Amino acid sequence: MSRPRLAIAGLTACSGCQLSLLNCEAELPLLLERIEFQFFPLACSPVRIEGCYDAALVEGCCSTAHEAELLRELRDHSRLLIALGTCAAWGGVATLRNDTPRKELRRQVYGRHPLPDDDVPRPLSAIVKVDAVVTGCPPEKHELLALLGDLLRGNLPVRGTAPVCTDCRMRENLCLLQERGMLCLGPLTLGGCAARCPSLGVPCEGCRGPAPEANVAEALELYCQNGFDAMTVTGRLRRFCPEWNHDQRA
Amino acid sequence: MTSVREINQLARVEGHGRVQLMQQDGRVVGARLELYESLRLFEALVVGRRFDELPEIVCRICSICSTVHKVAALQAVETGLGIVASPQTVLLRQLAVQGGQIESHALHLYCLALPDYLGCGGFPGLARLVPTELHQGLSIKALGNRIQELVGGRAIHPFNLLLGGLGTVPTAEQLAQLADELLAIQGAALATVELVAGLQESLPLLPALPGCAVTGGPSLFGDRLTTTDGQQVAAAGAHTWLDEQLTSYSHAKLSNFGGKGPYLAGPLARLNLAIPCEPAAQAALHRFNTRIINGTLSASHLARAIELVQAIERSGRLIDELLQNGIRPEQPVIPEQFAGSATALIEAPRGLLLHQYTFDGDGRCTGAQVVTPTAINQAAMAASLTSLVDRLAGNSVSEVKVQAERLVRCFDPCISCAVH
Repeated sequence: MSRPRLAIAGLTACSGCQLSLLNCEAELPLLLERIEFQFFPLACSPVRIEGCYDAALVEGCCSTAHEAELLRELRDHSRLLIALGTCAAWGGVATLRNDTPRKELRRQVYGRHPLPDDDVPRPLSAIVKVDAVVTGCPPEKHELLALLGDLLRGNLPVRGTAPVCTDCRMRENLCLLQERGMLCLGPLTLGGCAARCPSLGVPCEGCRGPAPEANVAEALELYCQNGFDAMTVTGRLRRFCPEWNHDQRA
Repeated sequence: MTSVREINQLARVEGHGRVQLMQQDGRVVGARLELYESLRLFEALVVGRRFDELPEIVCRICSICSTVHKVAALQAVETGLGIVASPQTVLLRQLAVQGGQIESHALHLYCLALPDYLGCGGFPGLARLVPTELHQGLSIKALGNRIQELVGGRAIHPFNLLLGGLGTVPTAEQLAQLADELLAIQGAALATVELVAGLQESLPLLPALPGCAVTGGPSLFGDRLTTTDGQQVAAAGAHTWLDEQLTSYSHAKLSNFGGKGPYLAGPLARLNLAIPCEPAAQAALHRFNTRIINGTLSASHLARAIELVQAIERSGRLIDELLQNGIRPEQPVIPEQFAGSATALIEAPRGLLLHQYTFDGDGRCTGAQVVTPTAINQAAMAASLTSLVDRLAGNSVSEVKVQAERLVRCFDPCISCAVH
């Protein structure tokens, strides 16, 4: 059986989704037997896009013309294009102040120094067709391995729908929002992380983006009852997903 | 006639950069490193955010260095708002930072640098050529991640490290098990030193550079910047001393050191500052003293390997201390004032890291400054590339390209950090 050829690239991001793959230390030798890492600048030279890839896994949001060009090139060369992680899927932290003109943000950091133009950071789907999404900041290792397993079998990953609260119930965690009065975003955030943060007593910060099955109206009511106004909650939710709104999703 | 040839995106480094080679009559006459990573603007993104959100946001500057960014931010915010973390929290943070050091150094040595010496493109080649060594490296790397996971809750973006404390304190049993694993991996770390010391170096000898690092605290921690040529700068004055400038070719600000640089940050600089090491690391350092002290850049990998031994020993020592003191569940300390400003210095795997924040009376951030080791190292990288081009005068352009890329990797650059 020929090994699937993968391209793995990063745009505007921290490389954490790609590093999560390299953090599968125990599984890497097996992955190498099954998969060809053809284009992977973070870990392999030379950096050259050629031939066809079975899938391109792309981390990060898109904020320059150069990145958009690379993204389109990867799309052209790949059968499937997967948005890897929250920045690629939703925009992520780079989009925190997308409501402020880019020029103003640049001025705050670089003064009036001339710099090449850049765009407002956007998720990959704003530029190219995205075939599947794996969220998380960073995504969980088991999700990356499941993605690679799916690709090996010629499938696309099944996307979760339930919020982090479901994971918390499964682990019989104390509810940080109702029992501790903490601003936990679990009710509205996509689960699948085994409620990693609430399980250690740390409220969910919403790093996996919106959960399709969340009951938004009910959750907002719950936040109000616990002393958090809608603006505070929305502000936190937009840390990872600038487009977050109060629409019912499912 | 002068023409320019660029090395396409640098491979096996974190982030996006390239080297441009200036040519005249078919010979390379100059080289320039360009960090063209897209503008991240973190220093603007955090403005207006509440103090407790800052560490959670800025750790996203970089994944490889996320623990050390988080701890730097926590320290700066805490100092600014007058929060004093418990001794247990302080030790656990030190442990998490050492875990990050282990993961980063193992990743760089085995996955990013070693292929240069074995004539392959990356870890897939290593798996074919030297599977035992790759396995050894990945085992060390995995342990670094387990430390970060146990203390920080996650290897990347460690959410369990909070302002004033931890979400959940690891148990004595978990820490004791980690101590056993650290003891068991020490042999692999020492073998790494041997492996790296035995690599055939093809880079020409380049002039040694003075170094700068954080001192005045336990390993990788401190309150001042010290240089190998005898300068000392308190944390509050470090940003001014580093003197960041803007360039036309890099999106990362360049430290200009008031025109007195360049200074090197990172493993080689730290070992040259004679910061005390644990016994096995000290012995390794003593053995390779002549290569490390005033060593040239190609000794960076060896310095990194010695630091791997140091970080593993130091982690074990920290766990011993924690267990001796007795592990207690603690609640995070909450601030009583919301206005303030402070600067924190810390050593990231690649060198000195600075975080500086100011908060208004509501605890909202009004200003942020981050200086990262790769931004500091830009001047040293530029000077070294110039020396390299001089030394390789007469060589083919393709040969200079290969060596320039290897030289840049000696710095283990982290470009997402540099263009934060």
